Amino acid sequence: MKGSVIKYEKDNIDTDVILPGPYLKIHDYNELAKHAMEGLDKDFHKKVKPGDFIVAGKNFGCGSSREHAPIALSCSGIKAVLALSFARIFYRNAVDGAFLLPIEIDENAFRDISNGDSLEIDTSENEIKNLTKNKSYKMKPFPELIGKIIAAGGLFNYKP
Amino acid sequence: MAKTLFEKIWDAHVVDEQDGRSLLYIDRHLVHEVTSPQAFDGLRMNKRKVRRPDLTFATMDHNVPTTNRSLPIVDQTSAMQIQALERSCKEFGIQLFDINSPDQGIVHVIGPELGITLPGATIVCGDSHTSTQGAFGALAFGIGTSDVEHVLATQCIWMEKPKTFEIKIEGKRKNPHAVTAKDIILSIIKEIGTGGGVGCVFEYKGEVVSELSLEQRMTICNMSIEGGARAGLVAPDEKTFEYLRGRRYIPKNYDEYVEYWKENLKTDSGAKFDKSFTIHTDEILPQVSWGTNPAMTADVTGRVPFAQEYAKGNLEEEKAANRALQYMGLKPGTLITDITIDRVFIGSCTNSRLEDLIEASKVVKGKRISPKVQAMIVPGSQNVKRQAEEIGLDKIFKDAGFEWRESGCSMCLGMNPDILATDERCASTSNRNFEGRQGVGGRTHLVSPVMAAAASIYGHFVDVREMDLN
Repeated sequence: MKGSVIKYEKDNIDTDVILPGPYLKIHDYNELAKHAMEGLDKDFHKKVKPGDFIVAGKNFGCGSSREHAPIALSCSGIKAVLALSFARIFYRNAVDGAFLLPIEIDENAFRDISNGDSLEIDTSENEIKNLTKNKSYKMKPFPELIGKIIAAGGLFNYKP
Repeated sequence: MAKTLFEKIWDAHVVDEQDGRSLLYIDRHLVHEVTSPQAFDGLRMNKRKVRRPDLTFATMDHNVPTTNRSLPIVDQTSAMQIQALERSCKEFGIQLFDINSPDQGIVHVIGPELGITLPGATIVCGDSHTSTQGAFGALAFGIGTSDVEHVLATQCIWMEKPKTFEIKIEGKRKNPHAVTAKDIILSIIKEIGTGGGVGCVFEYKGEVVSELSLEQRMTICNMSIEGGARAGLVAPDEKTFEYLRGRRYIPKNYDEYVEYWKENLKTDSGAKFDKSFTIHTDEILPQVSWGTNPAMTADVTGRVPFAQEYAKGNLEEEKAANRALQYMGLKPGTLITDITIDRVFIGSCTNSRLEDLIEASKVVKGKRISPKVQAMIVPGSQNVKRQAEEIGLDKIFKDAGFEWRESGCSMCLGMNPDILATDERCASTSNRNFEGRQGVGGRTHLVSPVMAAAASIYGHFVDVREMDLN
């Protein structure tokens, strides 16, 4: 999985800025995508390209349980969010619907990765290669069941 | 082996275990109009039924207007979501408290009010503030729409067992009318941070907790999620059992349940928690949030902090504080009591119950709100609204210049017409001061109902300890 980075050097990016409340009434996912990250970065929809990754700080996705948040990111093209840590409901929603990969990274990787860097992520090896900087980092492995749900393509495709 | 309350409830609900996760049985599923439409669509697409419609209850609260309910809903997308829930409940045989029901209200207010919420139960809802209901000793937590669909179809949910985190609330409040449950939970979050409880379930313990009413315990459990925990618990006691007695949906053999709860729903002495935090209430003052997350909170006697001072050397925190100060339009060093406000919102699943309104009314009675302020009361449910009207609270508030609205989530999350305009500053009894939460560019200060009421009179924050609240 290859893509380039949109970085937010910020902790506690909440679901209200990932997808502001008024848009929770929208049923059409492509329409939702147009408003992804609108509360934090009005230009997000202009700069995001299919396959991009978001890199962020601690407690990404805190706040409301709205699944619209990972859906909006996913439909705007984001394949993975790399963060120092995740709020649990966001993490779970991202995995349940196989919307995007919530990948936990360490401080070193967080500091090192810059906006616009090109990354290659190999979840089978738990490795993130920074093609721009010619470096590599370790990602925190997915817990066993999470890995299986992701491999199955979401909660409803997963058969225990 | 000695067990915590959480572990007892958890163990009693595990149906299966695999790959380090547990399949948990769900006793009560509450549904609202915003996080459920895609879940019902999913059921239809796969020709599935709702497994236990008798354990599933629905209401509409997030985007209902709080003005005259006999008029049609102007916002068409809201109207469509509301109609979709009506259709789904009819189709799947789910009990719905619709917009015109005498029991309509915020889902976490009506659950306890109708006796749907029970001690020892597992309760889920597609809403992060489901944690509110932990005040009854239930394991109650928010879920996303995929999990809503999963619970509708199976009445179960896959979970990784959370860690346990005890929060001891010790000491004695000198003025419990001025230093409220809201101030306690804001102080806790200020200390442990918004991520302090991630992956954990809180259990609130201590002398102060047993003194608190159920409604106050709900305020504390409600904001567990703001400390990062999906759920917060209080062990049920006599107050809990009496609160629920006689309510509509409690089990018929209620006394037998009470016996079981008394026996089983407490943390054993010697049980170990993974984490522990103690707060002394003697030191707690009325709180006012100044930033854009609930941990960015100050004592009413304090000042808006300098970013550097707030961050204590953490660069990310300093950046976040600078951004927050800019968003909030606040100058560091400003006295909290010098912050003037434009709007007052008393409502939300945190602080919209009868006691909240009674306490706020004591501040307002016989006074007029500042001419510069627009203020509104949004009761948590139609039942709260009726009870308040029976004791004349509506008159007190209206005489003071407040708007007296119909029940719903309202300005807590700005999904209905009740929103802040850009740069408007609001004293709000809700739970989240995130950027844009109450309207694009709106500025939220989280406070207790008495603090909000006092701010409405003076047009700026005041220390309610200086007021007569008895």
